Amino acid sequence: MNTLKTILSGLCLLSSLLLSAQEKNAPAELPYSNKIEVSDQALESLFHAPENISMELAPGFRIDGKIENKSNHGNSVISLLVKLNNAAGSMLSISRYKDPKGGIYYTGRLLKLHEPDGMMLVEKDKHYFFIETQQRFLVTE
Amino acid sequence: MKRYSNHIIASLLLFIHINVYAQSPLLNSYSAAAPTVYLDFDGTEVNGTIWNEQGRIIAAPSGLSSASITWIHKLISDHFKLFNLNITTDPAVYERAPVNQRTRIIITPDGSWYGQVPGVSAIGSFVWGDDTPAWVFMNALGNNPFFIAASATHQIGHTLGLQHQSLYDGYGVMITELSGGENNILSNEAPLMGIPFYKQADWKDGHPSTGAQNMQSDTAMIAGAPNYIGYRKTGEETASSENAVKIEKQEPGSLVLNSSGNYSYRLFDISGRLLTQGSLKTGYNEIRTNPASTGVLVLQWSGESVSGAQKIIN
Repeated sequence: MNTLKTILSGLCLLSSLLLSAQEKNAPAELPYSNKIEVSDQALESLFHAPENISMELAPGFRIDGKIENKSNHGNSVISLLVKLNNAAGSMLSISRYKDPKGGIYYTGRLLKLHEPDGMMLVEKDKHYFFIETQQRFLVTE
Repeated sequence: MKRYSNHIIASLLLFIHINVYAQSPLLNSYSAAAPTVYLDFDGTEVNGTIWNEQGRIIAAPSGLSSASITWIHKLISDHFKLFNLNITTDPAVYERAPVNQRTRIIITPDGSWYGQVPGVSAIGSFVWGDDTPAWVFMNALGNNPFFIAASATHQIGHTLGLQHQSLYDGYGVMITELSGGENNILSNEAPLMGIPFYKQADWKDGHPSTGAQNMQSDTAMIAGAPNYIGYRKTGEETASSENAVKIEKQEPGSLVLNSSGNYSYRLFDISGRLLTQGSLKTGYNEIRTNPASTGVLVLQWSGESVSGAQKIIN
């Protein structure tokens, strides 16, 4: 009986080691200093906004600026480029992707070239966050 | 009358302009793959991307010869032979590729709008779907085809989500963001995502710039999520381009080639001068060359599903 327990314990230990090894091989998440959750509705409203945008994407996270470009890529992606007035010339680049099954996804980033930090829109468990991170993890040479 | 002649001159100039912008040989490393990297040597206008803080960017054509473009395409393609990914110089192939599995690498002389760097890219932009390009600036690379290919491969790696491969000390403190292979000074290898210029560079497993606690397997990240490129099936790689056309015999004034299919071919000298061109049929083909054409030649071939190039020392 003790032998069986030892074998089972060994198997559990081995499987936990294998799982932790797999986790280490997974793509690393970006280190971030701040994150702001934004709703799907707030992101969607960007794509229906007038040329001069002024809206609060999340409490305390305001976008004031002008849409510099709106373009379609294939039939599935619409992209916006917004020049912000309230963040010293930063650009918000955001895309809305519709997959063949009708699912809607967003990708985006908010940055000013050569600045130390920038923000990236990430999705986790169907929630969207703008995370603030070092810009060298977003744009690099 | 004068007005008509002005229109004719303007049309001719436009025609010449269009032809100047359409010089690149149309090459594909693996046409069977939908995911695509487009090497744009022909100059373009970029608008509506994160690069356009100061408005539109006019990227000048590379000015590289067909032979140099063919050679650069081959060097880059060799680094992606493992993957289900097509490296193309054909803009039509890029346009047909899935929008969230494609990227354009603009290879252009001047990057002064950004700064004096060999290139720049947005990490992960391959899947963004908004056609954000990456850049290689030739002037900062001395217009050296080998350096241009290395820099382009590095930037492609970034668009596919790779961070730099970095060097850390035993306490996890970063020594240098760009590893040049210093952890083994006796080795002649360096990471493509570090400094890929002075050693034989390849994809590596190592600690990325995001921290010593992280591990980055370059090949696994390229093939896996969110790119979902995958690997080529075993055996496809060798059948695709490497052995498509083999040199069986080489003599002054003659090349005998063994072709696995029907291809068109072009033979250049190292300065990019076209020496001869024609078509190859399956099996043995003899190409007559000028016996005076010595030195390094570049043979380029292309078919419906495969293209490639190789260097010939004549």
